Amino acid sequence: MPQRTVKGAGADDGPDSPGSPDGAEAGRREFLARMAGLSGAGWLAIHAPALLAAGEAAAQHRVAGAGWANISAAEAATIAALVDQIIPPDDLPGAAEMGAVHFIDQALGGFLADGAEAWRAGLADLDRQARLADRAAAGFADLPFDDQTALLQQIETSPFFRQAILLTHCGLFALPAWGGNRGEAGWKLLGFDSRHAWQPPFGYYDAALYPAREAGGAAGESGHGAR
Amino acid sequence: MQPEKAAMARAEFDTRKAVDFVVIGAGAAGGVLAGELSTAGFDVVVLEQGPYRRPGDFSHDELKVMFLGELTEHPSWSDPQSFRHDAAATAQVQSGLDAAPPALYARGVGGSSVHFSANYWRLRPLDFKERSLLGAIDGTGFADWPIGYEELEPYYSRVDWEIGVSGAPGPFDAPRSRPFPMPPLPVTSAGVLLEQGARKLGLHPQPAPLAVLSQPHNGRAPCMHCGFCMGFGCEAGAKSSTLATAIPKAEATGRCEIRPLSTVFRIETDARGRASEVGYLDADGAQHAQKARAVILAANGGESPRLLLMSDSPRFPDGLANGSGLVGKYLMGNGHSIAHARFDQPLNEYKSVQVTRLVYDFYEHDPRRGFYGGGGLDARGFIQASPIFFARTGLPPDAPRWGKAHKDLLREGFTRHMAVLGSTTSLPLERNNITLDPDRKDAAGRPLMRMTYRDHDDDLGMMQFMQDRAVEILEAAGANTVWREAVAPQNVHAHLLGTCRMGADPAASVVDPWHRSHEVPNLFICDGSSMVSSGRGQPTMTIQALAFRAAEHIAGFARRGEI
Repeated sequence: MPQRTVKGAGADDGPDSPGSPDGAEAGRREFLARMAGLSGAGWLAIHAPALLAAGEAAAQHRVAGAGWANISAAEAATIAALVDQIIPPDDLPGAAEMGAVHFIDQALGGFLADGAEAWRAGLADLDRQARLADRAAAGFADLPFDDQTALLQQIETSPFFRQAILLTHCGLFALPAWGGNRGEAGWKLLGFDSRHAWQPPFGYYDAALYPAREAGGAAGESGHGAR
Repeated sequence: MQPEKAAMARAEFDTRKAVDFVVIGAGAAGGVLAGELSTAGFDVVVLEQGPYRRPGDFSHDELKVMFLGELTEHPSWSDPQSFRHDAAATAQVQSGLDAAPPALYARGVGGSSVHFSANYWRLRPLDFKERSLLGAIDGTGFADWPIGYEELEPYYSRVDWEIGVSGAPGPFDAPRSRPFPMPPLPVTSAGVLLEQGARKLGLHPQPAPLAVLSQPHNGRAPCMHCGFCMGFGCEAGAKSSTLATAIPKAEATGRCEIRPLSTVFRIETDARGRASEVGYLDADGAQHAQKARAVILAANGGESPRLLLMSDSPRFPDGLANGSGLVGKYLMGNGHSIAHARFDQPLNEYKSVQVTRLVYDFYEHDPRRGFYGGGGLDARGFIQASPIFFARTGLPPDAPRWGKAHKDLLREGFTRHMAVLGSTTSLPLERNNITLDPDRKDAAGRPLMRMTYRDHDDDLGMMQFMQDRAVEILEAAGANTVWREAVAPQNVHAHLLGTCRMGADPAASVVDPWHRSHEVPNLFICDGSSMVSSGRGQPTMTIQALAFRAAEHIAGFARRGEI
């Protein structure tokens, strides 16, 4: 497993993923370096949204219109159907539309490279089982939604499916710069609002301590863009 | 990354000329020792295995920090650790994104004070003399400390003021010579709910002491409540890590060189049996040895005994400073038990610090419980405060793990979650220890750290007791759903205590009451390994008070030619 000769060497390089958010990071670091020494909560609160938007735009640019880097179109279709079983579309997007397939594609060329073979074998096996279930199907993605669900229920405890859940969660809830969580759709699902600074009240139960601010803020509801 | 140029010339020392002190480890203790000894006029080289990150290097990238181990170097370890519960078993190395290292600590300048949640509990007078108060406990190394609370109190106050601790006095607090330097952080919704639930049960909740600034202090900016606190580095420098406090103080003296990416593999001794130099590998794998008049080992309660055991020689066949045979033994990790809850309205615990209120009513041992122990309870977002971890671990055990129902629970649950964490005593047991893995070596050729640990039945009893109280509080607070993480023998420890215990008797301890090793007069050991008992769960405050005290005595020894 050890690839480096000395522990600690290059620890600041980060993952070698094409999805590694270097560009946005550099801008953010410069920004933070500039604000260091300012007593800065207010300053940050004003500027952080623009900064985050810039980082997100960079990530969008990286994935927009690009072909798959590490998976075939057929694999992408299987993954899309798989992740949509884990987080299906309803009034909010499903995992595929939220960017989980892009995330997995990027990860397979980066931090997941060591596990890529096992992952591909798992996808192929899933397609094979789909064909056994329905001879007309070319793969898992061709099965009706409920048949996909029934198939996955049979492999619910397999390492492959556990990995699929983990990757779907990461693809929805990691920084958009990793290729998923498109437009922060995963965070909107949770009600997580990404900012670098907050002021109290933080939630419903401490808001009662700040009666004067209640009219302007609805602080207990902040971070709940999903509803 | 390259460290920025400091305003004044940075100290740089020749490895072949003996400096006054080499400090191994730039963490909670090593940072304080470096700051104090360089300020006292001594030349100090600090060898730190991890990189030198600056506040602007820290991010909210949960995947990178919490899953890819940016700060802990897991799972891409070049230095894995192995674990077993019992000596009869073969220790195993865990891998995978969801795995955690048995000795969970951050690598880098500032050490684990960079990524901790910054709970700064003092020990109380009883923690130092509980063996005398309660009597022996069969089969354990339960013992009094050679010092008492009164001895350590001035140094606790120095930590409050010089490191920066916010808080307010509570009904059970030990006496303090100075007030807190700043008020507590604003209470979060979880803190409000803990307070309400606890009061209904007749308990006495209080503000939590936290090493996070609530106001500008010592030229540092206060907390912005960004919420990425436990497990993350602070971008604002408001968390009182040694990276934000003692290390800059040390470097400003011009007499302290912080040498990052320096992996120590051996403390060398000379013909007289004195420590003479410290061997380490640099970032390129090249071997160096820094000569020193004295060595201070502050690598944490896992790595300090590991290094002593690796530094064996014909003169010290069982490891350096190990005449007692106790190096690595009596490992104590504190007990942790947790209850989760979901409330009807949003708490938004992803904002601000982890902990703002705690309950100390169960701190003292109570014979009516039927087992030894004590502890504290606090309200926090816990790891579920960040999005990926919430999705992985924030739902009740019977909740669907995929599909529409799973999505609905994520959607409803994230902002409405909180946890109550019990932190409790660990008894010192010989069977719980750090040894060298006989079968495996790391990328630098060092034997892996092997941890053997099974909580004492009393420790498990105390964990269960505290979880029961946590559930009662959450129910009294009006939670709509409460669930438990099963109490079981622990296999990951962020508190690494007791493995080079302090004592007056060389046969029953590794260092003397001033942290000098009993056998090597110019070798000092000061970190969590020095602790004789575990306290009730938040050790860093005590580790740093010990470091301030040790630095004062070591400086005195050096001035008087007594090293």
